[in-house]
Amino acid sequence: MILPLLKGLGTTFKAIFSKPVTILYPEQKRPVYDRFRGRPELQLYDNGKVKCVACTLCKTVCPSQAIRVIEPAEGSYGEKYPVEFIIDLTRCIFCGFCQEACPKAAISLNKEYELAQYDKKLLIYNIDMLKPKG
Amino acid sequence: MVNLTIDGKAIQAEEGSTILQAAQAHGMRIPFLCYHPAIKAIGSCRICVVEVKPGPPRPQPACTTKVAEGMEVVTNSEKLQDIRRELVKFMLINHPLDCPWCDKGGECELQNLTHELGIAEVDYEAVRKPINNDFDSKLIERYNTRCVTCGRCVRVCKERVGASAINFENRAYFTDLGSGQVPLNCEFCGTCIEVCPVGALINKLFKYGARAWEMTATPAICQFCGGGCDYEVHVKDGQVKRVRRDEGNPLLCVRGRFGFGVISSDQRLKAPLIKKGGQLVEVSWDEALDFAAQGLMQVMAKGGPSAIYGIGSPRATNESNYVFQKFFRVVLGTNQIDNPGRYNYWRAVEGMAQVFGWPEIDGLNPEVLKYAKPFHSTLTLSEEAKGKGFPFVMGQTAKLKEADAVLVIGADVTPEMPPYGWALMEALQKEDFRLIVANPRKTKYDRYAHKKLRYRPGTERALVLGLMAAMVAANPDLAPQLPAEGWAACKEILQGVSLDDIAKQTGVAVADLQAAAATLLQAQAPAIIFGNDLLAQANGKENVVAVANLFLLIGQPANAGSGLYPIAEKNNTHGVCDVGVVPNLLPGYQPLAAGEKFGKIWNKVPSTIPGLTLDEALTRLENNAVNAPQAFYILGGDMIRQLPNSQRIRSILQKARFIVYQGAFMTEVAKLADVILPVGVHAEVNGTYTNTDGRLGQTRAAVSANGVRPGWQIITALSQKLDQPLEYASAEDIFKEMVSLMPIYVGLQPGYRWPCPDLKADIKGTFVPFSVEPEALGEGDFTLIVGKTMGHSGSFTTFAAGPMIVNGTQTLQINAEDAGKLGVAAGDTVTVSSAQGRIAVPVAVNDDLPAGVVFLADHFAEPLANSLTSNSNLCRVNIQKG
Repeated sequence: MILPLLKGLGTTFKAIFSKPVTILYPEQKRPVYDRFRGRPELQLYDNGKVKCVACTLCKTVCPSQAIRVIEPAEGSYGEKYPVEFIIDLTRCIFCGFCQEACPKAAISLNKEYELAQYDKKLLIYNIDMLKPKG
Repeated sequence: MVNLTIDGKAIQAEEGSTILQAAQAHGMRIPFLCYHPAIKAIGSCRICVVEVKPGPPRPQPACTTKVAEGMEVVTNSEKLQDIRRELVKFMLINHPLDCPWCDKGGECELQNLTHELGIAEVDYEAVRKPINNDFDSKLIERYNTRCVTCGRCVRVCKERVGASAINFENRAYFTDLGSGQVPLNCEFCGTCIEVCPVGALINKLFKYGARAWEMTATPAICQFCGGGCDYEVHVKDGQVKRVRRDEGNPLLCVRGRFGFGVISSDQRLKAPLIKKGGQLVEVSWDEALDFAAQGLMQVMAKGGPSAIYGIGSPRATNESNYVFQKFFRVVLGTNQIDNPGRYNYWRAVEGMAQVFGWPEIDGLNPEVLKYAKPFHSTLTLSEEAKGKGFPFVMGQTAKLKEADAVLVIGADVTPEMPPYGWALMEALQKEDFRLIVANPRKTKYDRYAHKKLRYRPGTERALVLGLMAAMVAANPDLAPQLPAEGWAACKEILQGVSLDDIAKQTGVAVADLQAAAATLLQAQAPAIIFGNDLLAQANGKENVVAVANLFLLIGQPANAGSGLYPIAEKNNTHGVCDVGVVPNLLPGYQPLAAGEKFGKIWNKVPSTIPGLTLDEALTRLENNAVNAPQAFYILGGDMIRQLPNSQRIRSILQKARFIVYQGAFMTEVAKLADVILPVGVHAEVNGTYTNTDGRLGQTRAAVSANGVRPGWQIITALSQKLDQPLEYASAEDIFKEMVSLMPIYVGLQPGYRWPCPDLKADIKGTFVPFSVEPEALGEGDFTLIVGKTMGHSGSFTTFAAGPMIVNGTQTLQINAEDAGKLGVAAGDTVTVSSAQGRIAVPVAVNDDLPAGVVFLADHFAEPLANSLTSNSNLCRVNIQKG
């Protein structure tokens, strides 16, 4: 009877001195791989302007119709750029098709995965929220 | 028919057709780039090459090679694909990778070809072509870098539009799309944009508006002239982004293509307004309708139903206008209705009716079909059905190109009615076609005319008499081709006419008269186009009688293309007359005495006492006559701008005790109204229009009406408030009732024209004498013509961005010599005065006008051209600098 108990305690003692496989989330975050697909993000040029030219290919290719609105406008040099870009993250399935379709590498999936919210409205991202922070 | 095989499949093709047409007719695809169904093939791009046996040992272009008996065609061999691939690669060397933001992306023919041929990269290099883009032109942007030099724009502009405004610059590899004009100075019809296979020509109003695949297309009818072209409105997110016509016929005019802004204009009336304490305030529909009903009841209580006068709308649908006249005849019980065509197109109707008779159709099957498709006539022809009257001598636009001689008199075709202009361009491709243009000013078609008759304004009838007299002088045995009464008496008069007197009166040389008469006399299918310049005169009806007499003499309506072509000003000018918005006729030009038949359906027999014409009604109110109308119910339009003598019209309307205005914009008339009921326009409502040649067009609601209502719904709601409800479920429902009462619309359906072509016609006419007294124009140094200019249609398009960009301000068009005498240059302001009023207006020097004649457009609210006129579009004016 005592023998199985000691066997079990042995396993416990072995684990105490080995390195833990879990991490203390949320204090610690697990690093993700390079090809991880987080939420979509608009990419910027060095001068801070969005690379997006509002061609709407991502909106067209999006299988879950998460990209709701791309509002184009004409700049002073005749260039096309988006004044509004709305992605409904509640619908996003993180497939990365938008990134693949984009001719200007203007949208890509970043590594952000902590997207849970109490209110769904907070998951509807507009153009400012979609730009990289900082 | 010719037998041949294409890719092993045996087919039959029409003789004279090309391999490409034959393949397309049998659903086989041959790629092409420079070919377009609307223009002549030139075979320059060589994408459509095919192998032909028997034939030369090298590939032949399918778009220019005609089919032959026993021909074997291969369209898709590896060799051909290689040739096509290489050719497209050459085009791609210089083609910028603008696809993501080029508006053409998604519907670009070069893009499709590149995909189809599987071109992944271009392994050629060459010097870059210099960038020479044009962003400065109005409405159109040109990108020479994107151009593939297919020449479609150049050819369509030359062949179909007749403007020849764009051309190629430089040669060979450096060939560029240009015109020598930056910015562009043309008609701005935008047809070049439509035919461009790539994004070298861009519509500025559409630019970046939507991607091709994001829009839904809904068929609608253009509102901006009597042609009523059918087009598609392309809608994204409830907004009209652009309009297009079908592939085979890309032609639209500037207001058609760029005037759709009226729908989303921020000047649209959005909510009902009523006058409270002298101010118009927004109220709910219910309150506005109550207020309107009370106002009308109060006037009726005092003056009876005939104290209310209704003015129909040439822009409202047939259904709205039909319900409107029914509202007056059944709910109010009066025939006091008319439409603004009284001052224009109705004169053509009455004039033609005087010579050829009112339309009558007998011998229809008595049964009315219970079930018919939406907007299809419920009446059917029997074996012995016969028709007569003027509609049988009216021409149709689609056949105009088959005429062999056309006389254009008193019309500036392109601004008034572009579809006639395109038909003339098609006719001009024939070698034996002859065009005679008679107009006091130089118009666009003068450059193509074989004979120009520059007569003095107001002498149209003398000119027509001169033409007839010259015909009789040339051929004393002349007799009309059609059965005609009164020819002997007429001939006697014509033989007594001195051509020298006519020449003195009209200013047209005798030789020119004789030459024009000879041309018309020789023609097998002569046609006469006449328009606003002639109809809007005080004696417009007499002018039409003269023209109709001339047609009775030379016309051969049995030959395709021969006919009278009056120009209706708006898309439903013809329809509003057809459906009975006139004081003396019931729907379908039926006399008031035929009211019994209507009583059965309407549950009330309409009154047999004719109402007053619009002219009489206004005059009576002006003179405070006892039985003058006291209240007006006006469907849209701006009478103050459009009718002669604006001040008079304004002061008369100010006298009215109550005005209900049902319109889309705050026009000058709306400002005087007591109730304004906002109404939906063409792409917001369902219904039909009847265009100038009697063709029925169906328009569909493409965008939400956003709180405004279709015209007929407002009228039926108002009838409910008056406790005599007119009840209809839909526009189809109204159409069904309407056509069951209108024999003239027998067999009619959308896209078809009345009278029904299967109907046997009994055409005969009577020569009606007319006077040749010139119009009384008053005193002054110059003759003013008030007319239509390119880019606008009535007051409607002045609320749309597109036409206002091209033509945004009123200018006084004056000859350089006259301007010199007055000491003014282009842009200087002058004061124009007549007995009726004076306006200050900037000058535009235009040598299209002869000395002593000046021109103003009637579209603009400020300054108001019609404040100078008295009862005609012509008047004498004085002009002073400053």
